[in-house]
Amino acid sequence: MTAPGSIRSVVVGGGGITAWSAAAALKRGIPTLDVTVVSSPVTDDAIADRLPSTLPSIAGFHQDLGLAEADTVIRAQSGLRVGTIFDGWSLGLPPYVHAYGNYGTAVEGVPFHQLWLRARAANGAAPFDRFSLAAELGRLGRIGSAAPTAPPIGYGLHLTLDRYLALMRDFALHLGVQEQACRGFETKVDSESGFVEMLTFDSGTTVAGDLFVDCTGPSASIRSALDDSFEDWSSWLPCDRLLIATGRSSDDAGLLDRVSATANGWRWQSCCWRGAVYSSAHAKEAVAEDGTEINIRQGCRHQPWLRNCVAIGDSAVTVEPLEWANLHLAHSQIDRLIAMMPGRDCAPVELAEYNRQCLDEARRVRDFLCMHYVTARRDEPFWKEASTIAPPQSLAHTLALFAERGRIPYYEEETFSRDSWVAVLLGQGFEPRQTEPLADMLSLEEIQGELDRHSDFIRGFVGAQPMYLDYMASLSGTLQ
Amino acid sequence: MAGEPTVTVIIVGGGTAGWMTAAALVKLLPSRCNVHLVESEAIGIVGVGEATLPHIRGFNDRLGINEAEFMAATRATFKLGIEFQGWGRPGDSYIHPFGTFGSGKSAVDLHHYWSRLEEASGAAPAIGEYSMAVTMAYMNRFARPDPDPDKIESTFNYAYQFDAMLFAPFLRRTAEDLGARRTEGRIVDVELDGESGDVAAIVLETGERIEGDLFVDCSGFVSLLIGKAMGEPFEDWSQWLPCDRAVAMPCRTRTALTPYTSAVAMDAGWRWRIPLQHRTGNGYVYSSAFISDDDARVALVGAVEGESIAEPRILRFKAGRRKRSWVRNCVAVGLASGFLEPLESTSIYLIQAAISTLVELFPQQKQVSALDRDEFNRLIDLEYDRIRDFLILHYHATERSGLPFWDYVRTMQVPDTLHQKLELFRRRGRIAKYREGVFLDASWIAVYIGQRVVPQGHDMRADLPSTDVLARRMEALRLEIRAKAAALPDHRSYIERYCPMEEAA
Repeated sequence: MTAPGSIRSVVVGGGGITAWSAAAALKRGIPTLDVTVVSSPVTDDAIADRLPSTLPSIAGFHQDLGLAEADTVIRAQSGLRVGTIFDGWSLGLPPYVHAYGNYGTAVEGVPFHQLWLRARAANGAAPFDRFSLAAELGRLGRIGSAAPTAPPIGYGLHLTLDRYLALMRDFALHLGVQEQACRGFETKVDSESGFVEMLTFDSGTTVAGDLFVDCTGPSASIRSALDDSFEDWSSWLPCDRLLIATGRSSDDAGLLDRVSATANGWRWQSCCWRGAVYSSAHAKEAVAEDGTEINIRQGCRHQPWLRNCVAIGDSAVTVEPLEWANLHLAHSQIDRLIAMMPGRDCAPVELAEYNRQCLDEARRVRDFLCMHYVTARRDEPFWKEASTIAPPQSLAHTLALFAERGRIPYYEEETFSRDSWVAVLLGQGFEPRQTEPLADMLSLEEIQGELDRHSDFIRGFVGAQPMYLDYMASLSGTLQ
Repeated sequence: MAGEPTVTVIIVGGGTAGWMTAAALVKLLPSRCNVHLVESEAIGIVGVGEATLPHIRGFNDRLGINEAEFMAATRATFKLGIEFQGWGRPGDSYIHPFGTFGSGKSAVDLHHYWSRLEEASGAAPAIGEYSMAVTMAYMNRFARPDPDPDKIESTFNYAYQFDAMLFAPFLRRTAEDLGARRTEGRIVDVELDGESGDVAAIVLETGERIEGDLFVDCSGFVSLLIGKAMGEPFEDWSQWLPCDRAVAMPCRTRTALTPYTSAVAMDAGWRWRIPLQHRTGNGYVYSSAFISDDDARVALVGAVEGESIAEPRILRFKAGRRKRSWVRNCVAVGLASGFLEPLESTSIYLIQAAISTLVELFPQQKQVSALDRDEFNRLIDLEYDRIRDFLILHYHATERSGLPFWDYVRTMQVPDTLHQKLELFRRRGRIAKYREGVFLDASWIAVYIGQRVVPQGHDMRADLPSTDVLARRMEALRLEIRAKAAALPDHRSYIERYCPMEEAA
């Protein structure tokens, strides 16, 4: 049996950073492909393209592309971020930080939070987020080039949209990606095979290809020509409206974003952006500034990849920007697409494995976001209703195990680490009934010693780092 | 910890499963449980799983077991993988290594590049020649993996081949030193609580009645508690894994001491060969539907290489598992919970998985929480199911024909989960991705390619570099591995220096 023909040409639809990132990564990963971007204006509701705060995973994506930090951080004028402060999500509790990286370190296989819970029950202990190196760096506004002995600190980026988009587009074109610009296009489907045949625009221009990659945002201009089967998550994620305030934030640049609960949703403030996410069914959120208001329909396509068309980013999965997973999901899907490039026939068995991984990943992000709502404790009707949401089975399972003994079960394709789950749960005051018996391995004195040792380490390390703004200035200096 | 309840754990059965459980509980949860093991010396132990997987090293480390002492006491040898003879076709041979092909660190797995070489020349060297573990195994070399991850000598892992009859007594010393109690006696009755259905007590032949909070069923195939007393149904997998008997017979070792176990295809099953320091274990695993006990015994005796040192002994079993391994206050560990033939040395691994999961989900009160129990069953089922598919693959992916046993397994309908994995590999050499589960990508690749499941295409990222450059690089890698392996010590001399057995057999 001979191999089915290989895919030779890929057409990427969309004009935002998702599309250009996909094109650059495809060309870089599989140089034998012909890659064409049919670039059209970014729509308002394309969250990954418009709200460019990212998780630390973007560093790996850049590394695979061969892009250095001199380009992605300094020349593109990106800011750094190490996590988010959540404010007002549980009444009576102080704000907490969900930072990237470890909270404490496990001892003899016992997760750190189990030790912390025991210590706190016995003697009291500093809040859980004081044991996160990244959270402390963020709180004190310090970051720097890590000493060789330092633990690796992952940081996400605040992208400066126009600069980053220009960088990615230039890089893609430099790698040999072709561009066809248009204001919009039509998708032509072959009536016999059901495959996408070509995109047409400007009265007669056509772009054909073996594979079509849809990065056009929730409307999914290409992929929706094949089907619109959609898994709706609105019963789990109650917000349906996003407001992006006009103009840049006036705040000093910081390493932590602030996400505050409001009467009917939440609002964020980061170094460059602010805005709000809320439920339109409840009283309208009062945001002082003007801005773009968009409807969001949270959920994912049952089959992100069908026949010769794969939806990437918001066109596959739409979630609110709480936790900034949108661009991360797009990157992860792009990596998966490159690693799983099928034959030209796009055999269902190959697509099924892609879709399985993609859905496992998306649903677990959904769970992580939904967890913020069901475990929050506030008085307003919106929040009272949110606390009664019956979570998806996988989240119910996670919450039940955590409530019982502080255990976070492992799921395939998990985006957020165990420590991330624990940081948010404990931060919101969702606490286990008991600790694991295994945590008894250590005496209370030993546990206290571990906690003290870790605090001392963090204090010593953080104090030795330069201030964030000085550090960024010195980086720019070295470049000039 | 003061104030926390102490759970009384009764372990029924003192074989490998029983003593591994006892040792782990007293070591890891000393303040949470009292461990009391009941066994009868009159009942023999099956002593399955003389060959292990690398995971056992983590288990031993956690128990604080000194490797050299353990190896000397159990007359153990090192194991770098499993050799499969005659599975794809008669005369074929490959090793499933505990390690990667190539460095295992490149973005694209090495077998895609190997596929390209094979497509181009039709005569690429066997893929095992690009594996450090396989190359060392065939040369009978052994040394510990290099801690520097950039070196090719770091790309393998190892396990042990040991005498299971000696492992349980070794662990018994550890467990008893740490406070485990042991009672000798034959169990004649299991009392269930009339109201809850929990196991309330076991009754010994002497009339002694032993109560407990949590019962661990390590009674082996007889499944005294979870099967017999509680009636938990057994999920039968023999339609896919039809072997239901084994005849075992140890012999003196004639050949070099191989750092690997062998599994040789036979007319109605397969034969294991496990070299220990003092002897070689042999056994023929067969399906009684396809061969008689007598014929199997004759076939085994005819096949073993050295002088036999015991009479052939027959074992009976059935592939499958209990629907649930933890029911009410009774947890089954080892053969009492299920059986998968030792083709991939998973028996001790499954015991270990059950124990670590039990330790993690150990009851916080005397009363077991349904939530913890369900989680235990979910995780253990996952282990069984993934291993099941991997084992079925070995039988199904064969070109052997003309023998009724092999005709059956070659043409049988396999579970959908496996069917999809096979199709995915056939298309472009891709492995269904699961991070959880004992056998990872390199294991599946070894068996697929070793048994002639040839991908029709390869990963497009492997299209570069040009064929000439690729061929040169692959050859350089092959030669580097050969040279590095050849410089390592001989397996037997390594053992004689490091962990010679305490006395002659």
